[in-house]
Amino acid sequence: MTPGADIAIFAISAAAGLIGALAGVGGGILVIPTLTFGFGVDIHLAVGASIVSVIATSSGAAAAYVRDRMTDMRVGKLLELATTTGAVCGALLAAVVAPAFLYLLLGVVLLGTAAIQVARMGEESPPNDTPSPLAARLRLESSYPDRRLGREIPYSARRIPLGFVLMWIAGVVSGLLGIGSGVLKVLAMDGVMRLPMKVSSATSNFMIGVTAAASAGIYLGRGDVDPRIAAPVALGVLTGAIVGARLLGRVSNRAVRLIFLPVVIAVGLETIGRGLGFGL
Amino acid sequence: MKPERFRRVISAVLIVGVGISAALIAIGFVAALAIGWQGSLVGAGPFAAATTDFSNLPARLASLEPAAIVQLGLLTLLATPVARVAASVVGFTLEGDRLYAAITLAVLLILLTSIFVLR
Repeated sequence: MTPGADIAIFAISAAAGLIGALAGVGGGILVIPTLTFGFGVDIHLAVGASIVSVIATSSGAAAAYVRDRMTDMRVGKLLELATTTGAVCGALLAAVVAPAFLYLLLGVVLLGTAAIQVARMGEESPPNDTPSPLAARLRLESSYPDRRLGREIPYSARRIPLGFVLMWIAGVVSGLLGIGSGVLKVLAMDGVMRLPMKVSSATSNFMIGVTAAASAGIYLGRGDVDPRIAAPVALGVLTGAIVGARLLGRVSNRAVRLIFLPVVIAVGLETIGRGLGFGL
Repeated sequence: MKPERFRRVISAVLIVGVGISAALIAIGFVAALAIGWQGSLVGAGPFAAATTDFSNLPARLASLEPAAIVQLGLLTLLATPVARVAASVVGFTLEGDRLYAAITLAVLLILLTSIFVLR
């Protein structure tokens, strides 16, 4: 790796972190295709570098959310049981699964992410009705301070078993592909468990670092974490994410998604092409 | 422990962990840009092995290999979420929340197993 390539990887990772922070996803899904297609990095090393950067951005962002009471620590802890076991399974599977399958899966996740972003163009808060007995038992009823509405919004989790299963799948995908799979996590909490969107995003971010740590240890032990690639990627994504978080208040969600979508769709199609054996 | 304080401690663990690891990775990365990944900042590094090999870290740190400094940063980064979960076990226990202390302890055990056993 020449110094030029080091700097280039840093710069591209910073861009991925910036776009990722603005779009509410980790930078991983953008970093991995760039490393493999742009720099000829082995997909396993790219995944190893990505998973490390995921821990950095998640922990950095989570620190602020936890302090501001946006994170539901009980929901997070309960679901981390599912995501960490899933991540361990995913990381163990990654060693025996063919790269072509990893490309295909990454492509499908990318296009799925794009579809969800389209669906989210306009979003509302969940209805508030009586909590389920399981939520009461697990004490998954809480409230968060909504700055825009200027009051406490109460909520409670529902369909907990289904949410748990979806979280396990999110963990497997995270461990297999070295991404945070935050989109899947938010989908499970917001879409299935009906937690408020802001709580879902903050809690997802909180959990991503722990999920990633469960598989990162396995990647590291296997020799898939190469400092030559992981250092510029982790520093770049972290820098981009910090800048992105600052910008977030000033840019409209619509503008962010309009930048993000074409990139994700193009990379998704290219990745699927690789998986199917076309030299794109 | 009051929930307010609990949250502040968790937040501080995350910030300190990411800060230290980012600093180490940055120092190692800049050093590598200057002298190359196989080099050593104090004379010839006798340990310059494959950069993905995390063994023999103390000796390689002593000879200030850029790769070893980055590796220490990466390990610190990996330890940060683990420390956060460990702090949560203590926090839930002090709050008298046995159910969530147990759940969090299970998460901690899964993490430690993945890092130290499943290689």
